Amino acid sequence: MATELASRAMPAAQVGQPGAARAEGSIGSGIVMREVVKNYGAFRAADRISLDIRPGEFITLLGPSGSGKTTLLNLLAGFQKLDGGEMHVDNAPIDHVPTHRRGFGMVFQSYALFPNMTVTQNVAFPLRMAGVDRESAQRRVGETLEMMRLSEHAAKTPSQMSGGQQQRVAIARAIVRRPKIVLMDEPLSALDRRLRESIQIEIRALHRTIGSTILFVTHDQGEALTMSDRIAVMDAGRIVQIGTPTDIYRHPQNRFVASFVGESNLIEAEIVQRRGATMALRNRAGYVFEADAGHGIEVGRAAVLVRPERIAIAGSPGPNTMPVTVTSALFLGEVLRIEARTESGETLLIRCMDTAGRSLPDVGERLHVSWGAADCWVLS
Amino acid sequence: MTALAAASHPRRPAGFAVRLSNPALLLLPAALFLGFIYLLPVVDLFRISVSGPTWSTFFERVFSVPLYWDALVRTMQISLTVATLCLLLGYPTALLIRRTSGIARILVTAGVLLPYFIAILIRTYAWMVLLGRNGPVNKLLTGLGLLGEPAQFLFNRGTVLLGMTAVLLPIMVLSIYSSVSRLDVALPRAAQASGAGPIATFWRILLPLTLPGMGAGFLLVFVAALGFFITPTLLGGPGDQMFAMHIVQQADFIGSEGFLQALAVVLLIITLLFVALAGHFLGFSFIWGGGQLAEGQPRPATAHEAVPTPQRRLLAGVADRVGWPALRLLSRLNPAWGRWTVILLGGAVIATLILPILVVMVISFSSASYLTFPPPGLSLRWYEKFFSDPNWMEAFWKSSVIAATSAIISVTLGASAAMGIVRSEIRGKSIIMLLLVSPVIVPPVVLGLSLYSLFLRFDLVGTIWGLASAHAIGGIPLVVIIVSAALQGVDRRLEQAAALHGAPPLTVFRTVTLPAIAPGLAAAAFFAFLHSFDELVLSLFLSSAQLKTLPLMLWADINYQLNPVLAVVSSLEVLLVVIGLALAGPVLARTRAGA
Repeated sequence: MATELASRAMPAAQVGQPGAARAEGSIGSGIVMREVVKNYGAFRAADRISLDIRPGEFITLLGPSGSGKTTLLNLLAGFQKLDGGEMHVDNAPIDHVPTHRRGFGMVFQSYALFPNMTVTQNVAFPLRMAGVDRESAQRRVGETLEMMRLSEHAAKTPSQMSGGQQQRVAIARAIVRRPKIVLMDEPLSALDRRLRESIQIEIRALHRTIGSTILFVTHDQGEALTMSDRIAVMDAGRIVQIGTPTDIYRHPQNRFVASFVGESNLIEAEIVQRRGATMALRNRAGYVFEADAGHGIEVGRAAVLVRPERIAIAGSPGPNTMPVTVTSALFLGEVLRIEARTESGETLLIRCMDTAGRSLPDVGERLHVSWGAADCWVLS
Repeated sequence: MTALAAASHPRRPAGFAVRLSNPALLLLPAALFLGFIYLLPVVDLFRISVSGPTWSTFFERVFSVPLYWDALVRTMQISLTVATLCLLLGYPTALLIRRTSGIARILVTAGVLLPYFIAILIRTYAWMVLLGRNGPVNKLLTGLGLLGEPAQFLFNRGTVLLGMTAVLLPIMVLSIYSSVSRLDVALPRAAQASGAGPIATFWRILLPLTLPGMGAGFLLVFVAALGFFITPTLLGGPGDQMFAMHIVQQADFIGSEGFLQALAVVLLIITLLFVALAGHFLGFSFIWGGGQLAEGQPRPATAHEAVPTPQRRLLAGVADRVGWPALRLLSRLNPAWGRWTVILLGGAVIATLILPILVVMVISFSSASYLTFPPPGLSLRWYEKFFSDPNWMEAFWKSSVIAATSAIISVTLGASAAMGIVRSEIRGKSIIMLLLVSPVIVPPVVLGLSLYSLFLRFDLVGTIWGLASAHAIGGIPLVVIIVSAALQGVDRRLEQAAALHGAPPLTVFRTVTLPAIAPGLAAAAFFAFLHSFDELVLSLFLSSAQLKTLPLMLWADINYQLNPVLAVVSSLEVLLVVIGLALAGPVLARTRAGA
């Protein structure tokens, strides 16, 4: 079984031309996790996690540190043993397959390039371990380096390269075998913002080219939203929500997801009345507003999520507006970031585009804000 | 602290006051001390060795008498064997330390560190007890019926190799561990994720990256073994004479002046040759096991993909046909094999290091009147005997006073020298550092012999000050190494911030620098104390019948009769080291983490 897995992970010389569209037939593996448990002493790092990953999917594990995302990745890579549950790749259990025969590619947070080898030797290493002969290995390394725009650095050692270049070498080493699964453990966290953004785009394009299933771990919600097909948000050893980026951002299941992904205003309100597709709510200051009826909450208290960019500033008081007092106003370039206090003492965060005719409000200024029913998302 | 001011105006002609406040001056006391008591005698040694009818007379005799030539060859063989054994056994032990965590790691580390700090004399004595006729090994084998009657395991080449390997192993383990611990934990994982099994990961990643640590460990062990005297004397037979033993024996003959010195010079030159060779490849910092003192330049770029020369093509062909397929084949091994190899070999090494010490500690509580294991009953009679015997007590107090004096000299001179070397802009820091720590590589026998004539001339033989100063020659390097590591760990910006807020240099030192290096100073003082407290070889040369130190008493008794009082002394030493390590442990951990 083990050798079968390895050979499956090694499609015979299936190398797409650099920049070509997705290579035919080199679709990634599906991964199934069932009730996965991992304990570190008394600490439960993975608490009965179940996750289905579709072949060729780009899935991100997102969560704060200690939420269990790296643990899950290490379990899948085989660096650690499961304490319970099972993991399957393409319907075959992998518990007893040692890491080096799982045939995955992996990118590490610290890059983990072999300092005693040149770039070429680093990237050739997985091929040579897989039994590819020197000439073929040379050719495929050349193609991969070309694809990662590293050809001119082929003879350098890792210590002679910048962080961004090293990271691209690490990615090249992970994908050179065209593995069906690539694991990425916070690969961009050591890079500065601009570099991070450009490599994000690169990885995304690479995913389309090679078609592998990519499991990406990050604590950066922006990164997760930008890159993923789906995001699994983790907290305290569990997956608290899984969905597409828009789904996660617009329709978080609970307060943790709402506040961890993106900036958010959570407004405490009481459900006044429900009519069909919308409901009316009243916040503590007594203002009544409408919201799309969420998932079956009928009466009682609720938290309403309003994203800062969904709050509109009205020039004058109207039927559906709420008066607020500005406590801070910052000009961030393309957007204005305003913090304001409602009459009941809650703080609202507002982001609006820097459009012609809009000026930065003064601290202490009174504004009138409003939002539509479709801009709210009612949490339990 | 004043280096900042000096550095910002490098071109201004320095006034007297400025020159006085140059931290490089702090090197002066240590330089004067070592110059007088260490360099001068060694130079004198060379002078006497060439003072024959022609300069080479004595050397010709060294190389023409088969006795000495054979001893030289034998010394090389033994040293090489010991260093190789240490390497083979030390590597899995270093990996074991890295692999364990929590309590297990503390125990394994203690299993290496504890023996490292216990006197060679005591550890050799422990082996004599373990392998002796009434020792546990003989008891076990006769008890199991494997031996009809107790066998003589001691006094042959095998026990010399065993004892020396056991005594020197901790150096190797620590040296390899220091390079293993610097490796990114993700590297072996990256290799595994790239399809490499345990052996391929070891061969292609771990081994090449830890080669410097292995080289340093090998050389340190080899060089130490070259000058070994105590262990081969106690554990060897007539056929196992090492070179250093000849020097000590010749020292008893009055008529051998000149020839004696020539023997010492030969040993010293051979030692220095190997150190120079190693320094050429590894950089001399391998001696003090650490940083480049901010002078290190990045290694030049290596053009790996150079023109394919015939040799290169041949190598590539071999790698293609043999190397890679072999690694792939071995990768079929279950990773558990790698894990178990490390655990079993490393565990066996730790057990071998600790076992003799434990046996000696048990025996110290024996109720028997002679050495036997297991003891027929437990009692404190040997402790009573030790504490009530005026000879032992006097030796104990003399040793303590000498060690305390020596520690004070070492810390005062060594710490100020460390300050001078780390904080000044002086050129040639590496060479100065090399000179300061060089006493650790000079065979103690050579040092003792060279000091003897100096001590005679200044009437220092058998004096507390004389012995304390002699011990400080080896104490200063320890202090310099520890304190300069501590100093390099101090954030310069803290000192600059203090100065910026109006603190004069001395206040900066007192309020910022001193608290930061205080733990390092304490550790340095302890190790300098221990060094002197354990020192035997120099004392053999420089002491007198009136001034018996504890190691000298031990030495005399071990050669005369193995009795349980020695086990008491050994146990007390173990206790001392355990307390010291418990106090200094956190400091050392921090020093190593900062390095």
